Amino acid sequence: MSDNIPVSPTMAKVRLTLFGVGVVGLLLGAYFLVTKQNPMQIVGVAVWLLGAIILHDAILSPIVLGVSVLARRAGRRVSRVVLVIIQGAVVVGAILTLLVVPEIYAKTLTPANDTVLPFDYAIRLGLMWLGLIIVTGAVCALYLRRAARRA
Amino acid sequence: MQTQPVRRLLLNLQKSVAAPTRNPRLAVVLGRFLATAFLICFATGLYSHFLQDPLPWMHFPTSPANLYQITQGIHITAGIACFPLIFGKLYTVFPNLFQTPLITGFKGLLERASIALFVGASLVEIVIGLLNTYQFYPWPFGFRETHFALSFVIIGSLAIHIGVKLPIISKYWKKIDGYGPGIRQSAEERELVDAPLIDAVPPGIQRAPGVKQAAGLTGMLFRWIDDTPSVDEMPADKRETKVPHHSSLSRRGFLATIGAGVGAVVLLTAGQSFAFLKPFNVFAPREKGIGPQAVPINRTAAAAQVTETAMDASWVLTVKNGSIAQTFSRAQLLALPQTTVDLPISCVEGWSQMATWTGVRLQSLVKAVGGGSGAALTLTSLEKEGGYRVTQMGSEYVSDPTTLVALTLNGETLDIDHGYPARMIAPGRPGVLQTKWLSSLEVS
Repeated sequence: MSDNIPVSPTMAKVRLTLFGVGVVGLLLGAYFLVTKQNPMQIVGVAVWLLGAIILHDAILSPIVLGVSVLARRAGRRVSRVVLVIIQGAVVVGAILTLLVVPEIYAKTLTPANDTVLPFDYAIRLGLMWLGLIIVTGAVCALYLRRAARRA
Repeated sequence: MQTQPVRRLLLNLQKSVAAPTRNPRLAVVLGRFLATAFLICFATGLYSHFLQDPLPWMHFPTSPANLYQITQGIHITAGIACFPLIFGKLYTVFPNLFQTPLITGFKGLLERASIALFVGASLVEIVIGLLNTYQFYPWPFGFRETHFALSFVIIGSLAIHIGVKLPIISKYWKKIDGYGPGIRQSAEERELVDAPLIDAVPPGIQRAPGVKQAAGLTGMLFRWIDDTPSVDEMPADKRETKVPHHSSLSRRGFLATIGAGVGAVVLLTAGQSFAFLKPFNVFAPREKGIGPQAVPINRTAAAAQVTETAMDASWVLTVKNGSIAQTFSRAQLLALPQTTVDLPISCVEGWSQMATWTGVRLQSLVKAVGGGSGAALTLTSLEKEGGYRVTQMGSEYVSDPTTLVALTLNGETLDIDHGYPARMIAPGRPGVLQTKWLSSLEVS
């Protein structure tokens, strides 16, 4: 892998063992899939795997790239700490949104019974963003006040 | 000799310097958390799988009674925590995605393919797992079978990935080795690492055999992003003092963000599995304490098509042992000695609910047809169809004194959605095996 990091004989053995375990795992996974699913279902799994990679490589990554670009450019005018706090809040909010949006959609499909997806997730998501904005604003204001006092 | 992998590593190191949060040390830190979460999910998942499909020699603990509630709650919660962890991990190795040329030789192809499989399988696994917790199946394959098969693919890919990255992992395992890749590097390597962008590989390195630049649009983008003006515009002597401050801020900010992300998704969803977090349950697909008799349900009587058969006045529970058979009406069951137990309904989807059940000890019904202490049972439900209409119960559950044919729930006659006229309740079993609308029990 990397010639400038020495690989000890022990490490080489551990590596071989890991590769062995890995190959066994992959073969078992393939075996379970092939024996329990029909060819069309296996194609479905393959399409989903490919879709996940495309979604990550071609959609999510460029979005993150774009956000990074904007953040870096904003970084010229805004305090770096404030920028890091805002970035963090946006990332946490985005992850929660990613988890909650499918729930909002699934709820429109009439869940099996009233105890499945019992909440109004859209309103809760909105309130979460509102809370996140308030908390983030407060933390940034607090930091800026402290920094101003220290200066 | 400058070989391909060295070039690759060097290019990565460069990028790491330019973007302090994308470095091998952070990849190792997050990788440890993610690998731990994966292994926890795999172990608890296997436990859940074999509870439902035991191998012939398998026996399971019936105590503590809430064991499955804990293992499956951990399975789902750790799976949800994987979302921020995997995003963070992918972010730390983000520039690898844009490496050019994309594939270098057979070994490079294998490595890239294995990473693609690892990432793809991991993302699909946690997404279908999450959607399954609210019974949303927008895919053309079987959930259980695929979730099970992919778990082996993931653990296999994880082992291979750790094997490939072992030298890097061991180098950056301890914090003392530092975040920056500049440590222990020669002056020439340091010069290379200090180069701010992928596009501008120093001339000395460009001459080395096999060295190619990551060029094109992504290279230009990285230059724009990572070429932090405030640092680069400074004189070289000031740069040294400025960089560590900035990079340490970015690192701490990044780790705090991932930590906050994990904290948020766990805190706001784990209340479906763990009672003490119930007040914080904002986004989980399930909520404790709701539903008929304050117990949530998965399958209603209507969905199981038992609304008529379950209410039929002539219903009896048939208990069989070979040629010996006895039938019990609900009134006859109620006339037998009653036992009250507190046992949770713990669903494979991660939600669970503690409840108080009263009914007849299963042991005594089995004894009534001459079944011994080692008897195992085949349970049949009134359900018209479904994978759990007929299930097996191991002898450890049959002989457990808290296993009941339950007739009441939380002090009231069992609701039809909870399995009226009679249902099974046993310690430490998944909800799908707590058969509702019992029809017959047969010693097997």
